Amino acid sequence: MTAGLTLQGVQYRHGMKTILHDVDLTITPGKIIGLLGENGAGKTTLMRLITGSAKGKGTIAINDATVVGERKQHVSFTEQLRGFARETRVDQVVNFYRDVYGDFDFQRYQDMETFLQIDGSLKLTSLSKGMKEKLIIALTLSRRTDLYLLDEPFSGIDSMSRKRIINSILQWKPDDAIMVISDHYVSEVAAILDEIVVVKDQTIFTHEATDTIREKYDVGIEAYYESLYEKGNDYD
Amino acid sequence: MHFDDKIPIYYQIKTHIYHEIIMGTLQPGEKLPSVRQLALDVTANVNTVQRALSEMIAAGIIDSKRGKGNFVTMDETKITDLKTQLITEQVARAYQQLHALNLSDEEILNSLKHYMTQRGNVE
Repeated sequence: MTAGLTLQGVQYRHGMKTILHDVDLTITPGKIIGLLGENGAGKTTLMRLITGSAKGKGTIAINDATVVGERKQHVSFTEQLRGFARETRVDQVVNFYRDVYGDFDFQRYQDMETFLQIDGSLKLTSLSKGMKEKLIIALTLSRRTDLYLLDEPFSGIDSMSRKRIINSILQWKPDDAIMVISDHYVSEVAAILDEIVVVKDQTIFTHEATDTIREKYDVGIEAYYESLYEKGNDYD
Repeated sequence: MHFDDKIPIYYQIKTHIYHEIIMGTLQPGEKLPSVRQLALDVTANVNTVQRALSEMIAAGIIDSKRGKGNFVTMDETKITDLKTQLITEQVARAYQQLHALNLSDEEILNSLKHYMTQRGNVE
């Protein structure tokens, strides 16, 4: 049995356009991964391929589960609360999650709701950007599973909320679970990442441990990431 | 805890805990918080904290007791050695930087003495 997340020869096309090709990636259990790349590089597509909501070529396995239906049980991904009417209240969304996901831990949700100061009586339409992200984090982390995907959880939110979200990730991620956090701005999460995966030129351009980057190249993660976009970098 | 992005995080955590031991904030024989609590305290991930702990255990500064947790060593000689080692590292860094400015040993010593007197005057 191969534990963790494995992608082999994954390809995805949209019409005539290749979005991702030759994606090979292995992530071992317990790791926190920064999925980096410019806007439109294919980070969200990669997440949707992993959950099975986008269909491409190649093999994707989470703890040996390769079939989409089976894989969905091993991964928690809350895609922008799509599918809920704008007038839906937060606690109705939570009840829906409790009904649909057998691994949803309501006690855990309540702990996070308190910690992140989420008001269950609010309607989705009245949530601020930061509050919406907090709700997404709480819903995603309340499922007890093997892989958690967070798509740009820090975009457009204030630094206090960011700190609380980072704290929640550290506090509630199960030890053996993998967490993938996408971002196009790495400095806000660099300190909590085990590894970074950079999506560039329609494929996995770089996959390296953060402390290895610091030791090997004597640079910060942000500087290293930025250097990948400059010509003639020395990190090949 | 504020991290320098250029320096491996596990190394910064290790240095942070070593400083607490030398300053006496963490006493010999004292139990460290759990790995997850430490991770939350410094805002780093559990794996990184675990790596820092493993290195401190290997160095004999932290004793890992199965099922009980991690403790600062009771062996005060080890703590004294650690203190000597950290002092040496700091002094060596300052010495090398001054030496690179072509200062002689005597000049380095004098500038240090001068600094200490001046500093006293300011306070």
